[in-house]
Amino acid sequence: MRYESITEAIGNTPLVRIDPAVHGLRHIDLYAKLELLNPFGSVKDRAAWNMARPGLTAAAEHGSQVVELSSGNTAKALAVIAGMHGLGFKSVTNRMRIPEIKDLLLLLGADIEELPGQSECLDPTNTDDPLTLFHRELSDPGSSYLHTDQYFNPRNTEAHATGTGPEIVKDLDGRAPDWFVACVGTAGSSTGVARVLREHDPRVQVVGLVAAKSDFIPGIRTLDEVHEVGLFDPATYDTVAAVTSDEAIEGMLTLARRCGILAGPTGGAAYYGTVRHLRSLDAELAEQQGAGPAVRRSAVFIVCDRIESYLSYTKRRRPDLFRQPPRRNDPADLTDAEIAAAPAVETPDAQKWIERDRPLVVDLRSPFAYAALHIEGAINIVDELFDELVRGGLPFSTRQPVLLVCPVGEQSARYAALLTRMGHPDVRSLTGGVIAWRDAGAPLVRD
Amino acid sequence: MAAAVPPSVEPLSLEPRLEPQLAALLGAGELLPSLVDALGSPLAVVLPDQIAENAARFRAAYGTHRLGGQVFYAHKANRSSALLRRLAATDTAVDVASLGELQHALGAGFAPDRIMATGPKNREFLWLAARVGATVNADSTAELDELAALVRAHQLARMRVLVRLSAFDGPGVRVLTRPSRFGIPAGELDTLLKTVERHADVLDLTGVGYHLDTTSAEEKARALEGCVRALDACRNRGLRPRAVDIGGGFGVNYLAHAAQWERYTSELTAAVLGHRPPLTWRGHGYGLRNDAGTLRGALGLYPAHRPVAGARYLDDLLALPAASFGGRSLATLLLENLYDLYTEPGRALVDQCGLVAARVLEVRRTDSGEPLVRLAMKADDAALEEHGVLMDPVLLGRDGARAVAGDGPAAGVYLAGSLCLEADLITRRMVFLPRLPRPGELLVFANTAGYCMDFQTSRAQHQPVARKVAAWQEEGSWRWCLDEQYWPITRPGGEP
Repeated sequence: MRYESITEAIGNTPLVRIDPAVHGLRHIDLYAKLELLNPFGSVKDRAAWNMARPGLTAAAEHGSQVVELSSGNTAKALAVIAGMHGLGFKSVTNRMRIPEIKDLLLLLGADIEELPGQSECLDPTNTDDPLTLFHRELSDPGSSYLHTDQYFNPRNTEAHATGTGPEIVKDLDGRAPDWFVACVGTAGSSTGVARVLREHDPRVQVVGLVAAKSDFIPGIRTLDEVHEVGLFDPATYDTVAAVTSDEAIEGMLTLARRCGILAGPTGGAAYYGTVRHLRSLDAELAEQQGAGPAVRRSAVFIVCDRIESYLSYTKRRRPDLFRQPPRRNDPADLTDAEIAAAPAVETPDAQKWIERDRPLVVDLRSPFAYAALHIEGAINIVDELFDELVRGGLPFSTRQPVLLVCPVGEQSARYAALLTRMGHPDVRSLTGGVIAWRDAGAPLVRD
Repeated sequence: MAAAVPPSVEPLSLEPRLEPQLAALLGAGELLPSLVDALGSPLAVVLPDQIAENAARFRAAYGTHRLGGQVFYAHKANRSSALLRRLAATDTAVDVASLGELQHALGAGFAPDRIMATGPKNREFLWLAARVGATVNADSTAELDELAALVRAHQLARMRVLVRLSAFDGPGVRVLTRPSRFGIPAGELDTLLKTVERHADVLDLTGVGYHLDTTSAEEKARALEGCVRALDACRNRGLRPRAVDIGGGFGVNYLAHAAQWERYTSELTAAVLGHRPPLTWRGHGYGLRNDAGTLRGALGLYPAHRPVAGARYLDDLLALPAASFGGRSLATLLLENLYDLYTEPGRALVDQCGLVAARVLEVRRTDSGEPLVRLAMKADDAALEEHGVLMDPVLLGRDGARAVAGDGPAAGVYLAGSLCLEADLITRRMVFLPRLPRPGELLVFANTAGYCMDFQTSRAQHQPVARKVAAWQEEGSWRWCLDEQYWPITRPGGEP
């Protein structure tokens, strides 16, 4: 397939059947709409392109900056689209909670502004919420922005009413599914798709999934937050149900490990929420089947984006999924007794020792702290690097005495114990570290 | 989802979180009713031993990260002498923001090396601070000039100063921060240091700091990194400051149950959107409003349930990575650079340190049928609403027994004060009590020592200001005395 522009590759995503052996539903065919296969990686490509497109020519003439309130996929798609058209892009967000997305946006050339957190000394008469401040900036005289306004822009919904929805009907041989399930973020995809499916068959049941209130699933709003979305209309949904981040990750693992669908946690939440919703309905269908001829039902859920951006999100919640092989020469293996027995030296004796035997002084602090002040003649090997070095074996000759220095003498004691265990005959830790050294009035230099 | 949610029949409680000392005081039978009988309503009670325990928790957070430095109690949170004197008997320091607070701290037993003067300062305040040798935390270069002139004119000793910085920038993402009236923009550090050097004979720069009005740890982390960069610039010029003052704002967890807070705020949202009957006096939305079915505005409330607050917030903050220094933790950054940590907790240090009790005068229904409970106090005597803190009072019967769920049908009531002002409502929301109170009983506003006890109280209409009592436990029984008569060695009957 040949395209003139990458934006032509947006949409027409596959609808893939989930193996019944995985989901366990006996009378319902379950399909995943793979929005993760859009060129910039998510369902938001459709809305971003549809919202930005009409204003791009004028924006290029005025040198406007594209701006959006987004901490995720919409920002990513808009950053790419803006860049393709020679425009800047600024994303304003409450908190960018997914570090990979933040870095990716910076890499794509986006400006990111984070709004201030909630005031600690509350002034109840000040109801200037961060959004008000943002809108005031947009309407400043002289400001020139192309604001795509995803939470209120009808072109967001339209992208799905003309794209995602009809594609689903076409791929189901002209029928609407019995159930359509989507996570609610801007409500654009669920509202647009629901509209088309209902026009096709008013009996379609629409399930909106939200995050549990104190929980966080990227791209999904909580039950309270959905009310802040202009496109959200409760009447769109027959059911609104909550999913937890644990359930989202469970669903994500099932899709990735058993279905070959490398979905992010939002897709995982959609899968989990769909199967949970349908399980009892499937059982009811089984009872009805006894009486009459077999009827098969169908359900579609949206897989919003890809797994790769959520490694740290998953790692924080499920460290068990990231097994680390056991490592050699690990200071964590040391016993308290070994650490307590590590050779150590107090500042006055250390000064004499340095004078007499010229031990190698190794400062384990960061380069910044080392550069600021250090013991004269010390070399700087930051602890992380030192840790790597000793895993490979002793980094010093056993004939070279070594004085290890850290802030308060704790890390240096651990490494002195480790190097001793590894066979070094004369490695010592500076007791109390460089702080004790300073407090004893011993000299520190700055090069 | 159906548009109309059926009205909630269950009471929407927001029970206060009570640690053992405050819980014991509320369970001390006739003690509180008899104190109110004797000393009048409203009555404030402070728990000096609790503040010492809180200070120890902050110290422990320092210890976890091996950091040295000082914890400065932000005195403005409470005017109590007992709390201040009890703290003076520990290793805690104090942050004073007025001439009166400085005098109070000196009188309570704080030596000048444990006192820091902050905030807007008049000449008398600066002079006394300089005269006794307290540290001055300066807000502007003009203040440094004024201080230097004062020291020279009166031939005072060289004095220790910290400077408060603001408007930090960092690499990567731009973090917006509320503009502050206080502090010197970090970008003007060069001008600041020239001022410090010009006054080197009379001013000794011992550190830099910030105070951000935010609950966001990330913003604070950014500012802390900015301070370390500023201190490095100082070192480059031969100055030797060694303290980073990260201010306060560690927060308090007011509520016992997260689920109650979540349910309450959800119901409040539903009420604003018209999906359920109002929860507030004349549909007040606490900053939220209904804009054609879409929720607008921002909830102007203190996050009353905060799983991480106080010393634990400090602990977590210190463990955050210093993004612009290669991602090592903020604690490591301070430690490796040999810097001391200063903190100025106020609200967090007086967490669980007191309560305000008020007598129920009248229980009736308004013309429109709203149940109203009138108390012998003014709204400013327990200014929870003023600070956006939603927390239920505790109902004590005449015998001091605490009303609990099941004592009777739960009652949703509005609480009004004793001023003849429409606005003198103690709560603008319906408060759900275990049962309807009766005249003569007490409503106790627990955990109000931080800013909600005497910060705003007035003598409007010649109404009394709450008397303040210090209470403590000895060998299982409660002792008390008037706040101004408390000393850490106070014993009943003057026994040694």
